[in-house]
Amino acid sequence: MTKPALGSILLGTTNPHRLRDWYAAALAPDDSGEAFTEVTPTMFAGTFGDTSVLIDGRSDVADKNPDPGRVILNFHVDDARATADHLNTLGVTWLVDLEERAGGIFGTLVDPDGNYVQIIELKE
Amino acid sequence: MTGVVVMVADAPGPEKPAGVRRRARIRAITLESRAPGRAAAWYRQALGLRDADPLLTAGGVELRFTLGTSDAPNTLEPARIVLNFHVADIRTAEARLVALEAVWVRELERTRWGIIGTVLDLDGNYVQIVEPAPDSPPCLQRKEEQS
Repeated sequence: MTKPALGSILLGTTNPHRLRDWYAAALAPDDSGEAFTEVTPTMFAGTFGDTSVLIDGRSDVADKNPDPGRVILNFHVDDARATADHLNTLGVTWLVDLEERAGGIFGTLVDPDGNYVQIIELKE
Repeated sequence: MTGVVVMVADAPGPEKPAGVRRRARIRAITLESRAPGRAAAWYRQALGLRDADPLLTAGGVELRFTLGTSDAPNTLEPARIVLNFHVADIRTAEARLVALEAVWVRELERTRWGIIGTVLDLDGNYVQIVEPAPDSPPCLQRKEEQS
């Protein structure tokens, strides 16, 4: 028996190039421009773990997410503090600063469209 | 599953030289809901998971549900973030959603990427089932995990 897999998450945006560049720089910093492939001129796909992020230019969303927090993407990283340092060099906006909790180190930031993105370094 | 703090652990990665970072991995999605318990049960049935499965996961990504704080009862922009669940047999996946009496936004349709159908979850989010086409790009080819 097989189970469905979350193959991809589609992010609808009015500015797909900006969002692609942000996710590539923020979460795939060592991929030097290869983090995303162009599926169509307004759709880009990048794989983060086993799941792809599809950035889709579309006209049925506003420039900013009017209801952030409904869906939060949780990214695991090897070193949350190094990642946060890197993100700060990009000038990202933090919703919740990095903090140590029982399960690991967590922080929540806001992407250019206003979506919430959590980074997590799990404790060994 | 509301309030559960267990998380899907990453397989340990290889040691990297200083300054080299592995790409971040999506390992969980948090969905805010008016009724997180009901939402979790809906996804469990929609994805065909057994009650015995300890975590609500799909391809190694955990789905977490928290109590919503938004004033709006339903998601305001369902096209903003869409979860695409890849399946090997779209008709089986469709049958599960029909049994749940899910509201269809787009009935099954053959596209260049494969066969795709879209339903609303209980909070008005778009949920898509996708049977990828054999010649769709590799990044869109992730299919079902073996259980």
